[in-house]
Amino acid sequence: MCAIALRELRRTWELLLLLTFRDLKLRYQDTALGFVWSLIKPLLLGAVLYLALRRIARFDIPDYHLFLLSALFPWFWFQTSIMLAAPAFAHNGNLIKKVHFPRFVLPFSVVANNMVHFLLSIPILLLFILASGERPSPVWIVGIPLLTLVQLALLMGIVLLVASFDVFFRDLEHLTEVFLNLWFYMTPILYPLDWVPDGLKPLYFLNPLSPLIEAWRKLFTENTLPGPELWVSIAFAAAALALGAGAFRRLEGGFADAL
Amino acid sequence: MLSETAEAILLEHVGKRYLLNLHKPDALKTAVLHLPSVLNGRQRWPFWALDDISLSIRKGESVGIIGPNGSGKSTLLRIMSRISPPTRGKVTVQGRVSALLELGSGFHPQISGRENAILNAVLLGLSLKEARERMPEIVEFSELGDFIDQPMRTYSSGMYVRLGFSVAVHVRPEILLVDEVLAVGDAEFQSKCFAHIDKLRAENVTIVLVSHDLWSVVRFCDRVVLLGQGRIAMDGAPQPVIHEYLSRIALLADLPTPISSSAPGIEGGTRWPS
Repeated sequence: MCAIALRELRRTWELLLLLTFRDLKLRYQDTALGFVWSLIKPLLLGAVLYLALRRIARFDIPDYHLFLLSALFPWFWFQTSIMLAAPAFAHNGNLIKKVHFPRFVLPFSVVANNMVHFLLSIPILLLFILASGERPSPVWIVGIPLLTLVQLALLMGIVLLVASFDVFFRDLEHLTEVFLNLWFYMTPILYPLDWVPDGLKPLYFLNPLSPLIEAWRKLFTENTLPGPELWVSIAFAAAALALGAGAFRRLEGGFADAL
Repeated sequence: MLSETAEAILLEHVGKRYLLNLHKPDALKTAVLHLPSVLNGRQRWPFWALDDISLSIRKGESVGIIGPNGSGKSTLLRIMSRISPPTRGKVTVQGRVSALLELGSGFHPQISGRENAILNAVLLGLSLKEARERMPEIVEFSELGDFIDQPMRTYSSGMYVRLGFSVAVHVRPEILLVDEVLAVGDAEFQSKCFAHIDKLRAENVTIVLVSHDLWSVVRFCDRVVLLGQGRIAMDGAPQPVIHEYLSRIALLADLPTPISSSAPGIEGGTRWPS
């Protein structure tokens, strides 16, 4: 019995890897710039934001380009994963209706795929940091896996929840897109958390991303490991996983009939 | 009582209900506006695709399932393959199941046949190592030759199903559920498929075959189940069950009696006993 369970676990893992690699390959196949596209998007947005906020609105933040990029890269992983994973069940009806397999690999492979893109963008960030005369520190070796793990758990919970409900309410895809756009501005990506007035502070601690984004930024620009405030994100990640798994278990049985 | 070795599939009083929506099904707006009635299911009417099905299939048996369109054949196969859970009753399946409900589900046109075949084999139940080991056999059986490394968008539909079938039968299941997929490729490839199914039967693989092709049902099955309106109408040796099915069709075919010419008793006669 245990051997069968172990075999299934292993097969699920292999399925996840296969799907992730296939999608990585598919995403930029037949494009001349290939992987560079996944860098161009955050870099261009970063350039425009730098122009608008640093040069025009005159935000008084030194090395604002590093400040921005260290938050934009993790944000892009977050946003793209949720947007692309939301319809992961709904758009794979042909597969879900015809084959029995662990269905959660579908949204998870999207998250994994975008995680790879994020990790590959870290060297680019490093180049910017070196060009500004800063140096990375060995704490990155601890910090990057730690924060990646927290963000991964948070994302897995969220995409399971959203993708499961999306099978039955397809409007959720659109709702998610709108919500993510608003979420971007309500997270300390363009500005530091310190700038948020005390009256609005509680709102920022209800946002699982704000401590996480702050932690990414501190890691990359100040070479410091996250403090206890990261527990807020960890707690949110645990809650999201529990909620997502619960929703998926309850709704999974209906997928084949609803699609 | 389910003994350890005898039964591969056991269905006990299985029912499957679909809730058909009266309104546009999946819009959030409708759901929110009609939340109370959505929650208690008043907006939808129940349709029992399967009703009180009890069926036991022994290991190594090959069973054909026949019946007219909409009689619940495909729903039954979906329940046996755990793709969709039953509304009522209990399903017990012992052994590794491979369900051929559609050939090449999830094939992606942009990547090569080889990559698709490996992913498909893992989807159908193999480990990655097993899938890689069986690739030479799969390629050979599919007769694709060098095309195996070309993107699948370059394939003809025949090549597509040949690869799909080839992967599916090389997954080496203990239980093979087949839905109308035997009619693939040209005559030569078909006879090869048939030979392969015979081989699986000889290896004591349990086979459940849903088909409209009565010839292949007779050819492969020890036993045939006739479904009608979601219930088991008859269950037994192939010949009598197929005979019963054909005589029901013949009864329906006799139907063109105009309503004006009131033949006594014809109303009762044209309806199926269910």
